[in-house]
Amino acid sequence: MSSSAPGGLEGPFKFPNSPEPQSSSSSFVVPYIEEERPESPAKHGLDEKDFEKLVLGSDFVDESNVDEDCNVAQELKKYKYNIFVLSSAGKPVYSRYGNEDKLSTLFGVMQVLVSFIQDSNDVLKSIRCNGCTFTFLSKGPLILVSVAKTQQSDTQLLSQLTYVYNQVISVVTLSRLTKIFEQKCNYDLRRLLSGSERLIDQLLVFMETDYAFLLGAVRVLPLAPTARDDISNIIVSACSKIKNLVFALLIANNQLITLVRMKKYELQPSDLHLLFNLVNSSESFKTAESWTPICLPLFNPSGFLHCHVSYLSEDCQACLMLLTVDHDLFYTLSTAKQKIVETLRRKGSLKDINDALALKPISASELGIYGLRHFMCKSRKHPQFWSSRVDTPYDTPEEVEHLMSLYQNLHQHVHHPTRPLKLCYQQMDSEIMLGHITAEYEFYFTFEPLVTKSDAISAAGRLPSVWLKDDEEKKKFIFTDPTF
Amino acid sequence: MASRRKLLLKIIILGDSGVGKTALMNQYVNKKFSNQYKATIGADFLTKEVMVDNRIVTLQIWDTAGQERFQSLGVAFYRGADGCILVFDTTSMNSFASLDAWRDEFLIQSSPKNTENFPFVVLGNKIDLENRAVSTKRAQKWCQTKNNIPYFETSAKEAVNVEQAFETIAKSAIALEKEEIYNDFPGDIILDRDNKPNNGAACNC
Repeated sequence: MSSSAPGGLEGPFKFPNSPEPQSSSSSFVVPYIEEERPESPAKHGLDEKDFEKLVLGSDFVDESNVDEDCNVAQELKKYKYNIFVLSSAGKPVYSRYGNEDKLSTLFGVMQVLVSFIQDSNDVLKSIRCNGCTFTFLSKGPLILVSVAKTQQSDTQLLSQLTYVYNQVISVVTLSRLTKIFEQKCNYDLRRLLSGSERLIDQLLVFMETDYAFLLGAVRVLPLAPTARDDISNIIVSACSKIKNLVFALLIANNQLITLVRMKKYELQPSDLHLLFNLVNSSESFKTAESWTPICLPLFNPSGFLHCHVSYLSEDCQACLMLLTVDHDLFYTLSTAKQKIVETLRRKGSLKDINDALALKPISASELGIYGLRHFMCKSRKHPQFWSSRVDTPYDTPEEVEHLMSLYQNLHQHVHHPTRPLKLCYQQMDSEIMLGHITAEYEFYFTFEPLVTKSDAISAAGRLPSVWLKDDEEKKKFIFTDPTF
Repeated sequence: MASRRKLLLKIIILGDSGVGKTALMNQYVNKKFSNQYKATIGADFLTKEVMVDNRIVTLQIWDTAGQERFQSLGVAFYRGADGCILVFDTTSMNSFASLDAWRDEFLIQSSPKNTENFPFVVLGNKIDLENRAVSTKRAQKWCQTKNNIPYFETSAKEAVNVEQAFETIAKSAIALEKEEIYNDFPGDIILDRDNKPNNGAACNC
């Protein structure tokens, strides 16, 4: 991921800034509103026609305006998944596509939709129309909106908005965000976020392509337990005397090698994802040691941790992150890092890491289970997962996306909020999907479409013994919990 | 580069129903005028990019409904406004008399930090019509008593003073915006070694 981060530094396509001052107006078509408590629009003190007009925008919109507005909206229509962040005053903060200044009328409409429902002491959660789901999340002084033409569940869509919110908090901190808007609710948050938009851009790509977010877990770099213990011990011994060092983690290619923590302090998967995202979003960490503040919202939303980020060496592209609460610790951590690298090299750990990185994950077909195309496995005790290599027939980006949507669908059925399942079998158009929850693991399988139900279920039962035999389990998951 | 950062201003247009708020906005943004009256439902939004003091500024213009039945949405509309345009109809004394109420309502609901200096402009619209009811003098006097709000007599139909009015509100909003800069970097986290932070589920990875 990190090496192939698409547009990592540039962010996705943005409309070119036109030097000519331009104008646009907005109207917004929404035939059906789904609220927390379904209520007829009439109850909000307007008749249905008024309501429709409010949602549609004014009927006094000039034709030429409509054209121009359509151009902006048309541009946005081609995207499958869009995200907008705005202040509760309706000022744009972030738009995944397009120039948010040019879309500012659209942001106004979004703010009014949210406020309109709020006005009757209700919460606007989502709007569905034309195969499109608009999901809304109001959090403190921010409103987050996603527009998705995907089959994801409400829970999944909401969780993605929460991730984007957390990413904003991670840059600004919750205390600062709250304080700023308390003092000045017309604040243009882009002032504080400028330069950090790429973190959100990258996070969205990360969420769309990595199963980590769906599963709420991190990918682990498979390593022999002794090799991993050596690495952890080297980090512990280099850092144990450093006061106020809270976490040390080593990651490579979006996979966790080890995490050492201060006793009593824990790192949640969603905070870990933000750290992974930070590393993915910047190529500059590769060339220099960095010292960057980062707020981890689940760890502590009101303050920054200070993070020493560096790659181990030219010949080993694993990234070491040392997180402390002390902003004066850069040189201490820099020295510790040198020591860690020297010892890792002397003990052959760099080679262990490189060897593990060179080994591609196995393909499901190599396991000799009839009709098995792909599978993933998440530990229920530790938020970690492993997935097989994505292989034929999932060769194109569209196919890979299709596979992701199948898993999203399967996952939402298995983890249904009111009716969770231990075993879930789905006959889809061109695949059979199977979810299987055991005492220790969650398994998710993709089979050929012609595999029989009994074959699929028996294969699912057999797989753990084939795939996790001997020491394999301890290689693929980290069961130790090193602390300073 | 830093001073060239993007700037977006939220401008609210207020005034009685039928004074020409939407027409003014359309004249300003689209250079168009229609005699046909259609009531605004809730709010309309228009965007215009303007050059002010050599800098591109995006105006996010909130054209609100003058009709009373939409007033409950006021707080939501007014929240975080950078400037407010008060409009009355120079041929209607009632619409002029309402200005006080509109201004008070706005200040109460939006509760800006600085009530004294909050950027307002007052527009007396429809000066192209002959049956004038509010004199220039009277309007100017009202503006003076409200901390010298700039006053313009406009015609949305004939595009008189419309540009100037919007430019004035933009300039005073920018002046106010420049005043505040936030440099309070959050303090360091203090580790409490005795108490486990309330982090929810354990993560031992």
